[in-house]
This record gives sequence, C-alpha cells and structure tokens, in this order.
Amino acid sequence: MFHRLVLLLGTALASVVIGAGSASAHPHVWVTMHSELVYAPDGTVTGVRHVWAFDDMFSTFATQGLESKKKNEFTREELAPLAAVNVTSLKEYDFFTFAKANGKPVEFNEPPDGYYLEFDPKQTVLTLHFMLPLKTPVKAKELTVEVYDREFFVDFGFAQKNPVKLVGAPAQCKVSVVNPQEMDTSLAQQLSRLAGDQRDPSLTVGSEYANKIVVKCP
Amino acid sequence: MRGVGKERLATRFAIVAITIAGVLLVAGALDVAFAQTNPFGAPRGQAPAVPMGGVLGWIFTKQAEFYRQFSGLIRAAKSDGTAAWSLLGLAFVYGAFHAAGPGHGKAVISSYLVANEETWRRGVVLSFASALVQALVAVVIVGVAAALLNATAATMSKAVNVIETVSYGLIVLIGLRLLWVKGRAFIATLRLLRSPKAVGAAVTPAHLLERDDHDHHGHDHHAHDHAHCSHDHHHDHSHHDDHAHAGCDHEDHASAWGHAHAPEPEELGGAGGWRRGLSAVVAVGARPCSGAIILLVFALAQGLFWTGVAATFVMGIGTALTVAAIATIAVGAKSWAKHVAETRSGYGMLAMRGIEVGAAVLIIGFGALLLSGYMVSERLVGI
Repeated sequence: MFHRLVLLLGTALASVVIGAGSASAHPHVWVTMHSELVYAPDGTVTGVRHVWAFDDMFSTFATQGLESKKKNEFTREELAPLAAVNVTSLKEYDFFTFAKANGKPVEFNEPPDGYYLEFDPKQTVLTLHFMLPLKTPVKAKELTVEVYDREFFVDFGFAQKNPVKLVGAPAQCKVSVVNPQEMDTSLAQQLSRLAGDQRDPSLTVGSEYANKIVVKCP
Repeated sequence: MRGVGKERLATRFAIVAITIAGVLLVAGALDVAFAQTNPFGAPRGQAPAVPMGGVLGWIFTKQAEFYRQFSGLIRAAKSDGTAAWSLLGLAFVYGAFHAAGPGHGKAVISSYLVANEETWRRGVVLSFASALVQALVAVVIVGVAAALLNATAATMSKAVNVIETVSYGLIVLIGLRLLWVKGRAFIATLRLLRSPKAVGAAVTPAHLLERDDHDHHGHDHHAHDHAHCSHDHHHDHSHHDDHAHAGCDHEDHASAWGHAHAPEPEELGGAGGWRRGLSAVVAVGARPCSGAIILLVFALAQGLFWTGVAATFVMGIGTALTVAAIATIAVGAKSWAKHVAETRSGYGMLAMRGIEVGAAVLIIGFGALLLSGYMVSERLVGI
C-alpha cells in the first residue's frame, strides 16, 4: 500500500519537475539555406550542395578574435581553419541533413575538399558552402531531403527566394519545398504558395516540423 | 541463504521501493531529455521531436522572435539612446521566456528544493542567486577572453566547456549526497514503521539496531555530517539516521511519527543552510547561457560592451523570475504532498522520504545527462 503511495506522489512530483524542465527549443543560431540537388547525366542523384548563411550575431561570435589583414573582414583563406572546424563538428550531427529515396533512408559521405566559408562584412554574415555526396547515387521517383536540428540549437530555414535548385535533373523532375512553420500554422497557405504543377498531396504527411525538399520524378 | 529477518525484509522492501521510484523518475527524465534536448549518444531518428504546438510552441516562437530582435536593437543603440532601453526591456522578456527552455537550472533547482525540505522563499532566493551568477560568468568570460585578450570563439567555447563540466559534475555530487542522506532517512523511517516495538516510542531500542544488517548499518554513524550544527548526537539510535542531513534538518526529529512540525524559516535560514544552498547556486549558475555570450560578443563588436553587460543582467533577472515561479510550484506540490502524507501517519512520512529520494535521484539523472551531453559535443563552436 505504502509503496503505491510513494509511487503516486513521486510521479506527481516528477511530472511537475520534468514538465518544468521539458520545454525544449532554445535556438541560438539561425541558418538561412540555399540547397542544390545534384544529378549525374544518367539521372541518378549524387548529392546535396548546401549554402548556409548564419545570422549576424552568431557570425560575429564565430569570427571573434580571428586574425585578418583587414579589420572586420575575412578572406576565404583566413576563414579556412574555421570552415574545417565547422565541417568536422557537423559530422557529429549528420550535417543536420536526412534524405530518403523512394521512402528508404540513404546515407551521405563526408564533404569532399572544396568546402569554404565566406564573410560578408556589410551584413556581418558568414556563409558555409559544402557538398554532401550520397554514399551511393540513386535513381529515385521520390526523393525527400530534410534539414533540421532536433535539439533546436540551430534554427534552419529556407531562403525566401529560390531556396532549392535541381542541377542536371531529368526534365520531368519537379521540386517542392515545405517550411515547418507554415506547415504548423496553415497548410493551405503553404500549398497556395506553390506553383500549380507543384501541388502535392504528400505535403500533408510525414515529419511536419522539418524543412523538407521533395523531388518527384515520375 | 539464512532466514530473512523482519528488519532485513523491510530493508529489502525499502530498497525495492526506492529502486522502482528511482527508475521511474530517471526513465521519465531520460525520455524527456533524449527526446528534446540531448540527442548525444542516442541515435538520431528520422522524425524531429520538436514540440511546436500549444504553449511550448508559443514560448518557443516568442523567444526566437525576441532573440532575433537583439541584433537590430544593439545596432540601433549605437546612435539612438531609446533603443538601448528597448534592448533592456527585450532582454528582460527574453530572459523570462528563455528560462522555460532547458539549461537554466529549473529542474535542478526544483528537485533540490524538494529533496531538501526548503521553503519557497528560499527557492526564490536560490533562483535569483543562480541566475545572477550565470549572468556574471558570461560577462566575465566575454570581458576577459574577448574584450581584454581578443580570444577566438573557439577559446571561449573551451572555457565554457570546462566550466560546464565542473558545474554538471557538481550537480551529480549534490544529487549523490542528497541520495545518500535521504535514502538512509527513508530506510530508517521504514525500519521504525516495520518494527512494532518502536512505534510510539521516541527512541528505538538499541537491540533493534544490533540485529540489523551490518553491511548497511556499520558505517552509518561515522557518516553523519555534523559540520554545520552543534547540537549533540551522543545517542546513536536509529531515528537519528533521519537526521543525517548536514546535521541541520531539525524537522526530521518528529516527522517520522507523522505529526511533524514544519520547519521554521529561521531554522532553514541559518548559516549552515545558506552554505548548503550556495553549492546549488554555483552548480546551476556557473554554466553561462550561450545566448548571453553571443549577445555580449556582438555588443562588443558594435562597441557597446557595457550595454550588452546591462542587457545580460536584466536577462538574468527575467530568467530568475521564471525559475523562481517554477521552483515555487515544486515546493507547493511538495507541501501539498506533505499535507496528504500527514493524514497517513507513519506511512505518509515514508512517502515523503520517498519523494525526497526521488528528487535526489532526479538531480543525479539531470547531472549525468548534462555531463554525458558534454562528453560528445562542443556545441558553441560546433557549427
């Protein structure tokens, strides 16, 4: 009898304490994304090329104390060590990029050399460019790529204009983009933004809170 | 195996009960932590687990909105004095909202208060103290590392990581100490309840102790922590095991009998009590908020370091308000539980001890999770 009471009260208490601690989500980094899906001549997807622009506060923080010839301006070369750190750290988070080909998860290799950081002194914006090659290029009728940070330390969002491009894709392939907030507030609004030929019933299903790229190649 | 005596059975029963409660609580904490704040070590699922709906979603959206306004206001404050005031106002509101997220010690402070039989007033003071320590640490790190030494973000992050590790380690230690003290109090209460001779007597006959399991009991008396209190502990009867907590938990005397008097605030407010609280303040407050550090560095780059410092402290006050409110709820929940427990005499007291043990386990759980999170991540430089 008594241990039941212990459990009951303990659970009540735990729910207060945990409830208090569970509010998630405290982004400190904002990323505005442009992404390209790269195709080989045979119609297979070979990878994703990301261009991620960081918000000005984080960009200032990240470049704090870095040596540069011109004050508050940084060349690609000066930023190279930071870019290397970024790419290495991103590995731990799977580059926040999760792809499925025909419904099955596919894996990425690490970015090959050629990644770099750029700094725009006017906007105080740091931009990371890198390529994520697929381990095995695939031919996919439906390809989805989701970008998100589960911890929400980083808040990803697609750029407003032309966030996603297909590079070298077969002509019948159509791309559509789903933003998480719009999914959350009003799906209709989201759908109305897409061009007529891009309307896609699959937008209503799946992981609702990720930034999602959907490519259909019927 | 020899025949199991009554006391031994009771002890085992107690251990089972503690284990169940502990596992339950830790499981709950793990669930939440892994699902939402701590993916380290856990496989990253394909579906995001970010709650976006309801109150949490609203808080999240709001604080993100507020944070994004910081840079604009700091830039504006360079030429416009009123923008500085808006910045302070924003910092306050942001602090209050932001504290609802993880990493600001709500859970640890609440659990600490519950495990420790603290008053809500004490909770409010602890919340404010830890939030201000947190602001101070951020200011000192950025002031020394960035402003004076022109250190890089990576260097600052390393400093933060060291502080973080120490702070999380401290949380685990505080939890372990509480578990030790409260676990023994729980077992002692149970023993008294299970022993018919003891019921109604203020003092447990010595022979009961001697029949006890020596493995557990042998070192109990040596482990009393008398450091802060001076009243005598000459008599070594078992209900003094209740009493082990820093030698200062006066209320435990009577409480095993179900008609405990609530501790007077003065008693808790004694010098030893505050010293005890200080460890929690340091453990929780030492880890600076990444947001504050980023904001300070940005303000520094804009030539407005002191404006940034003011904003950081105002943010701390906002944080403290939220943490204090949550801590007060936790203390209130415990008082309610205590009220219920008192109507159940001895068993009720046992339940109270069980809750305290659970809260101690929670603190250990939080600390361990935070520590293990650190082991794999260098979040601040990360991206």
